[in-house]
Amino acid sequence: MNEQEIKVKIKDLLCDRLGVDPNELTDEIPLFDDGIELDSIDSLEIIAGIDEEFGVDMTGVGKEPFYNVNSLTAYVVKELASRE
Amino acid sequence: MTTNKNRCVVTGLGMISAIGSNVSECWQNAVNGVSGIKTAEAVDTTDCYANLAAEVHDNTLDDICGTESINRVSRLCIKASGEAMRDAGLTDFADSPKAAVIMGSCVGGVSNAERYYKSGKSAEYVSEIPISPIANHIAEVFHAGGVVTNIANACAAGTISVAYACDLIRSGKADIVIAGGADAFAAVPFAGFLSLRALDAKPCSPFNRCGGITLGEGAGALIIESYEHASKRNAHIYCDVLGAGVSGDAHHITAPRPDGKGQIFAIRRAAQNSGIDPSEIGYINAHGTGTAKNDEAEFLSLHTIFDGVGSDLSVSSTKAMVGHCLGAAGAIEAVFAIKALTEGVIPPTIGYADEDMPRLAERAGKIDFCPNTAREKQLSTVMSNSFAFGGNNASVVFSKNTGNIVPPAKRERVFITGIGTVSPIGNGLDNYIEKIKERKPLDNSSAESSVERSDYDACGLTNAFCRKLDKFSRLQAVSGMNALADAGLSVMEDNTEKIGIVVGTSDGPLSTICDYQQDLLKKGNSSGSAFKFPNTVYNAAGGYLSICSGIRGYNVTLTNGIQSGLASITYAVNIIESGNANAVLATGTDENSEIVTELYDKMGYFADSEFKLSDGSTTLVLESLSGMDERGAKPYAEVLGCGTACKSGALKDSESALERAISFALDDAGITVDDVDGIVGFANGLNEVEQIENEMINNIFAERAGMVPVFNIHSVTGEGRAATAALSAAHAALILAGKLGNTVESENLGGIEASSLKNLLVVSYGSGGVYTAVIMTR
Repeated sequence: MNEQEIKVKIKDLLCDRLGVDPNELTDEIPLFDDGIELDSIDSLEIIAGIDEEFGVDMTGVGKEPFYNVNSLTAYVVKELASRE
Repeated sequence: MTTNKNRCVVTGLGMISAIGSNVSECWQNAVNGVSGIKTAEAVDTTDCYANLAAEVHDNTLDDICGTESINRVSRLCIKASGEAMRDAGLTDFADSPKAAVIMGSCVGGVSNAERYYKSGKSAEYVSEIPISPIANHIAEVFHAGGVVTNIANACAAGTISVAYACDLIRSGKADIVIAGGADAFAAVPFAGFLSLRALDAKPCSPFNRCGGITLGEGAGALIIESYEHASKRNAHIYCDVLGAGVSGDAHHITAPRPDGKGQIFAIRRAAQNSGIDPSEIGYINAHGTGTAKNDEAEFLSLHTIFDGVGSDLSVSSTKAMVGHCLGAAGAIEAVFAIKALTEGVIPPTIGYADEDMPRLAERAGKIDFCPNTAREKQLSTVMSNSFAFGGNNASVVFSKNTGNIVPPAKRERVFITGIGTVSPIGNGLDNYIEKIKERKPLDNSSAESSVERSDYDACGLTNAFCRKLDKFSRLQAVSGMNALADAGLSVMEDNTEKIGIVVGTSDGPLSTICDYQQDLLKKGNSSGSAFKFPNTVYNAAGGYLSICSGIRGYNVTLTNGIQSGLASITYAVNIIESGNANAVLATGTDENSEIVTELYDKMGYFADSEFKLSDGSTTLVLESLSGMDERGAKPYAEVLGCGTACKSGALKDSESALERAISFALDDAGITVDDVDGIVGFANGLNEVEQIENEMINNIFAERAGMVPVFNIHSVTGEGRAATAALSAAHAALILAGKLGNTVESENLGGIEASSLKNLLVVSYGSGGVYTAVIMTR
């Protein structure tokens, strides 16, 4: 899976599981706070989704990778690469 | 001092929990700090990070006669209620219309949803999935003939049941009430709390480790009577129930407000309604779930209220022993609080190691949290607190004294000042008025409402907010916000605590619940969705409405079949008349979907070809005359009187209850049947239901029967259950306000001159043989 494919899957996950509007979900928009305004429950859903989709466990990971779609993608890409 | 007329007393107690099959066993074990928390048995915990629960092990539960087909939650409830009845020296209410049943539950018979899917969709499990049957079973067993309903406010349900029981008694609508709550351990709540990481992997340790909750199950029941009723029969009185406080956080669907504002308001309101100073409270059975957020908020609210008032306060959480019993928690804890009061012993909060004590001392300050061992203490007044999902807070006071309860000087008149509606024929009041005049029959046997982006925009709801809501909550949010706008009622800091919300629903978020259960069966209980879980609770819709409107006053969700949409109006009137709000949003909301249609099909509803299942949400803004006058609002109509009655806990042979409900409503309104100019009925295409309505009309109107116009909206809107019941009330208000034109089409007499109608009777039914009647006047 290349980076672009991972990004598409992450976006799908955010839209399907968290009801985020696809038109609003750019690569850069902050997922929390003043951006999409996700909250702590959503972060649990993202962790479950990333685990299910990519087999990457984000439990206990700091805030930074959750900043936006780009940072989530980068985290998953890095984790998957470290396994190769 | 409270006059005898306003006193409510407790005369019977019943309980079943993981630490005992009756009050005496539970109490002894609680005092001794015996934990009922063990490895869970009834739910598959494979791959789950937590596997503990406080389950009931009672092999007599299966022997309760006639209960083979009913869900465990109702059997737990029957067991506890039976004990409370015996304890009060009672066996049967003999259909007394002043005997009520108010039961709290969070998940009801959700384990039947699991059975339904596991059995390959066997119809026998369907009717027991919702919460509604619980109170009906209790009414059936003990022949209660008055108000029969369930309070579905998640973890605060049991406490609100007690509060409502007292309001019914003080308003003269009941003399005696079985009030309480029940919940049975099941996969949906277990997997849901697990997905939120809210379960403790170890036994929960409230006010200590704060590692999360341990789920429990059980039931608690209290017999609450008017003092006069109890003394007339020489009943043993445990204590008085003084005042209660109920509020909404308007903050978050699962987390309490960090500033504790909602909790503080509920606690202060309970003390204020009791006519006591908080310093008089000697013991609080706390909510004390053991989650970090709950315990922090609770430490804050307790310190804010009780520090520096010179009180000698003890606090404990019995959840450390019985687990978090959700909708039963408030009832079980009320029983523990009353036992503490009458025995002079405070049950401990267990789970503290020596090294935990310095931290507790720091956090507890001068409040005694009773770690590990029970304390003897002479008590005169105690409190039980419950704080729930949806931001619902409830607090109730029990006392050996009579308090100083001052009822409002005069009965407030209540008016309808706003209407919001979402239905399969479209959304918004103007649209409804246009479509209902066309009287175009609904085409399909199953129809659904829809709310779109434009609906959200029109009522100022953002994407960020709406994306979290399931359909049930979205219908409610839109109709609620539209009703507020229609009333021109602005929610501001200075009035928000005087505005309430009463959601009535027949089936709650049934699709979300079944969908959640199906996901669990596919992916396992370790894979529940944290995002979807909060929407499985019935009071999520009321919670979201509180959040998006900012309303922080009384907040309750009631459920007992279709009539819940009309019962919400009677509850709202009660809140206003008791002085707990100036305005209340009374709603009826139910959702339809492929899943809901399938379940209704399984129950045989579509055998009558005229029956059309639908959904929607209707919200009416009810307002006191003084509140309305103050802001110069114009009413649609006045709610003149309300009545509810039940017979037999089932529809069959329940006709007499409908006539009784109407007779109560007429009495309440101070008019006679001769003053009724028309009926808005509940006939919905089901033969049995239609017959009941026709028979009632013939019986109560006698020779006028053929001359009284009957209005009915079901052929146009379908049977949207609570939504249609509330919309029928709105329809009556619109007729009276002249909004449906000079001539209004009736079912039996063609066009009727609207100006000839002064008093309209609105009726609705529930399949548990419970009926509500409301009289509206121009």
